[in-house]
Order: sequence, then C-alpha cells, then structure tokens
Amino acid sequence: MKHVLKIFSLLLVISALWIGLLQASILPQSHTWLLPIYFIVSLGCYGLLMVGVGLMRFPTCPQEALLLQQDIAEAKGFLKQSGVDVGCK
Amino acid sequence: MELADRAVGFLLSFISLSIFTYYTFWVIILPFVDSDNFIHNYFLPQEYAILIPVCAGVVLLCLLCMFIGFVMLKSKKKMA
Repeated sequence: MKHVLKIFSLLLVISALWIGLLQASILPQSHTWLLPIYFIVSLGCYGLLMVGVGLMRFPTCPQEALLLQQDIAEAKGFLKQSGVDVGCK
Repeated sequence: MELADRAVGFLLSFISLSIFTYYTFWVIILPFVDSDNFIHNYFLPQEYAILIPVCAGVVLLCLLCMFIGFVMLKSKKKMA
C-alpha cells in the first residue's frame, strides 16, 4: 500500500506543477498542453531503453552452463542405475 | 545465441532513442523555429504529434483487453 501512496503523491505533485505552469503562463499555452503527453511518451521510451540495455548486458556464464550439463549427466546416470525411468527430453 | 540477444537489445534501444529524439524535436524545439525553415519538411504537422501517441495507446489498451479476454475464455473452456 505504501508504494502506491508514494506513486500517487508523485503524480499529484507533477499535476500541480503542470496546472501552476498553465496558470502562470511562463511558456506559451499550446506548449504547456502538450507536456503530459510528452512525458508519457518519454516514459515509455525510457522503459524500452532499459529493456534493450538489460538484454545487451545479460550474462551467460558459460562455465556454469558446462558444470550444469555435467551435473545433469551424472544425475541421469545415477537415477537410471536406481531404476527410475529418466525420459530424455 | 548471445549475439542474437545482443542484436535484439541493440535494435530495441536504437528504436527507443530515435523515437525519443524525434518526438523531443517535434514537440519542444520545432514550435520555436520560424515557419519557413527547411526543417519543417521533415516533420509531420503538429496535430499528428498528439494523434499518433493517443492512437497507439488506444490500440495497446484494446490488444491488452483482447488478450486478457482470450486467456479467461481459454481457462474457462479447460475447466468445463
């Protein structure tokens, strides 16, 4: 519940800032109307960027993969000895 | 396998960065540029800057609802 409250308060602050900007007329009005859409689009872009960067830096650990394959072979052999049916998938 | 992952990740980040710069240019920088500058030929009229994200958002919402509906129907069919 607390995280939702934090997000909600952040949204409230941003909308208050936006309405204040509208009233004070520092920037031209048509500009200020476009700001929320711009922020939503940039947020989506940022999410996509994080996904792409995470994909690029994903570690594959080749040594652990090898050890895992050895463990699997060892376990299969042991279970076959004990009579358990190990279906090779 | 790892190269394919890297290529997809690079493509995604490239797409997102290009969309971000194009949209920033469109919404923030272009209104401050004179009307008869050559750069206006490369950008669509400003109404599309609102239309395209809204349409994309509506399409995304529809696809999401359809997907949820499909999954619910499939699970109900399996139970019956």
